[in-house]
Amino acid sequence: MNTTSLAIDRVKRTPALRHLVIELLWQVADDDLMIGFRDQEWLGLAPHIEEDVAFGSIGQEELGHAVHYYGLIEALTGDRADDLALLRETSARRNAVLLEQPNGAGDYLHDPHFNWAFTIVRHYLHDVWEMTVLTAMTGSVVEELAQAGTKILGEKRYHRAHQELWLRLLAAHNPQQLQDGLALASQWGADLADFGPMAIDLQQSGVLPDAPLLPKQFADEVTDAFKEMSIDLPIFQPGLNGRQGQHTAALGGALTTLSEVYRLDPGARW
Amino acid sequence: MRNLDSEVYEVFAQSDSLSPHVHVFNVQASSPEMALVLAEENFFRRAEFVSLWVVRRDHIHHLGFGDRDGFKKTAKPYRTTDDYKYLRDKWRYYREHPMNPDADRTSTQGGHEHDFTRD
Amino acid sequence: MSQQPLISDREAYFLERLDRGDRIEADDWMPEEYRRQLVRLISIHAVSEIMGALPEKEWVPRAPTLYRKLAITAKVQDEVGHGQLLIRVAEDLMRPWGKTRDDIMEDLFAGRLKYHNVFHMATPTWADAGIIGWLVDGAAVITQGMSLSCSYAPYARALQRIVEEEGFHIQHGESICLALAEGTPMQRAMLQDALTRWWPALLMFFGPPEKSELSTNQLRNLRYRIRSKTNEELRQRFFSKYVHRIRSLGLQIPDRTLAQDAVTKEWHYQQPDWDLFRQIVNNHGPRSQERLGLRRTTYEEGAWVRRMAAQASSV
Repeated sequence: MNTTSLAIDRVKRTPALRHLVIELLWQVADDDLMIGFRDQEWLGLAPHIEEDVAFGSIGQEELGHAVHYYGLIEALTGDRADDLALLRETSARRNAVLLEQPNGAGDYLHDPHFNWAFTIVRHYLHDVWEMTVLTAMTGSVVEELAQAGTKILGEKRYHRAHQELWLRLLAAHNPQQLQDGLALASQWGADLADFGPMAIDLQQSGVLPDAPLLPKQFADEVTDAFKEMSIDLPIFQPGLNGRQGQHTAALGGALTTLSEVYRLDPGARW
Repeated sequence: MRNLDSEVYEVFAQSDSLSPHVHVFNVQASSPEMALVLAEENFFRRAEFVSLWVVRRDHIHHLGFGDRDGFKKTAKPYRTTDDYKYLRDKWRYYREHPMNPDADRTSTQGGHEHDFTRD
Repeated sequence: MSQQPLISDREAYFLERLDRGDRIEADDWMPEEYRRQLVRLISIHAVSEIMGALPEKEWVPRAPTLYRKLAITAKVQDEVGHGQLLIRVAEDLMRPWGKTRDDIMEDLFAGRLKYHNVFHMATPTWADAGIIGWLVDGAAVITQGMSLSCSYAPYARALQRIVEEEGFHIQHGESICLALAEGTPMQRAMLQDALTRWWPALLMFFGPPEKSELSTNQLRNLRYRIRSKTNEELRQRFFSKYVHRIRSLGLQIPDRTLAQDAVTKEWHYQQPDWDLFRQIVNNHGPRSQERLGLRRTTYEEGAWVRRMAAQASSV
């Protein structure tokens, strides 16, 4: 841990720092909420029953990580984590646009035609990015971020190893499916590894060491991985930037579902 | 070179038919048949079993990311009954003080002093 | 050895083992009828877990709070996990017939294999998810608890794992229902409606009451020590366990005749519509076709993934 580490209640009293930490947490929290939601749509419907249970754990852990991050924001803002996760406007959401995209046509209740290769590719990209961020986070001056990084990295390793196995299977036996999944992901994936202008502040404040270098680190890692599998990595088209609150209609739909019951009476005890 | 792992057999035994097979120890043996005989003689001089397995060590695959800390999981209290310990007291309370179906609940909301749901 | 045909010797020995309390393993010799009964029972149980994940899954993303979302996703995942355990047990039993889990799924889609009546029902509100956890799982634990003494060891071992997890499921359901019962008038009404909706299905869950004589099927399963209690015994146990709890929350059970005999302790109740029950389990329940359709579509569209995995494992 960093020698000049700060506990979160110190961060709370330093507005500039507080703002940065919250901005970083929005990204990881909103990312994990969305990927967790998309993962869970597969629950009970995955192609193979053992895989169903395994993928179920991954989705659950993603949601668990999101809950942890929202909890940290709750500690910084005093707002309830449930409200933060469920009631914020779409324009306040900082998740990558790729992660809000549906798993395929239809939805989990109506006539789902889900795309397994896209699901795996998307998840893998998310896992590599989050691991890159978490690894940097372990060196954060903010104690709770460093701890979260260490704790969550352990689980992310499993997630990533899991997606990599599927990727290799796809590359060896169904490269076309993989290529199609990648093509789909590349329509949206440009904002995934992007802190925008705050990258330098994240680094200089010590909130996230090396922040400006992480996007390239991510790109190199992904490029090498696909090269090794002899799969062409398409160019990720710049488009909507979720990190700046730009989103597709898919996010609104997901949030309506996620908050349907809670909104009946957010003041009630559920 | 001799592959020593091909001569080592891990031994698993089941003490009764409802229990899982449990790892006992290992033996060095020249064949699976020999390993079974040796395991039986070595480890069951006293204890009884209903099933005995041996598995050649180099046929075992194990999980590892080079770092055993990686096996640690984040806390998942929502996965266990730990978070629901308060239920027992609630049921006891309502057995003694049944809710009145016709009462206006808004006046009593939160009136059940024990709010366990949010800690 | 006597001059009798070998098969009856074996069968006699088999029954003797059962009477001793021995349990049977997958590679032990067993009468074909025993295998058939087990495959039927365990396959029904397996597909009921698999189909049973779907009604609650409808509420996984919609669960009200983050905490409830985590808990219900863990719970539904467990149900799929139970399906996995049971599918594996069934597959090992079907091996001599050259059949696999694919045949189980095909039988399900073709309507040859039924799943439990409760999972054909609609779950229009969050309270339905609570009632499933509390009372449907409560009912399931009563039947599964009986099956723990099943003579087939792999099934009994799977059930041990399952029943242990059901403990968590029931408390998860109780926690949801208690929160609703203690909540706003809207929440209480939601809970009461769900109970009213589920009550007949809960009674049906245990199957029709036995006539004065048991069916040959039931007798055989009792003889084979596959089950040890009748449908009615299990239903009575459910009443004893849950009626007072339901009432302690001020909820109305939609059966004015429901009462326990002070002397015999037997519960009297209004029979659910058993013709309707037969319609439901024959896939003519309120949500039968939609849920089967959901499962069939994703199963068929996942075929290439399963083929790919099989291809890789055969290298």
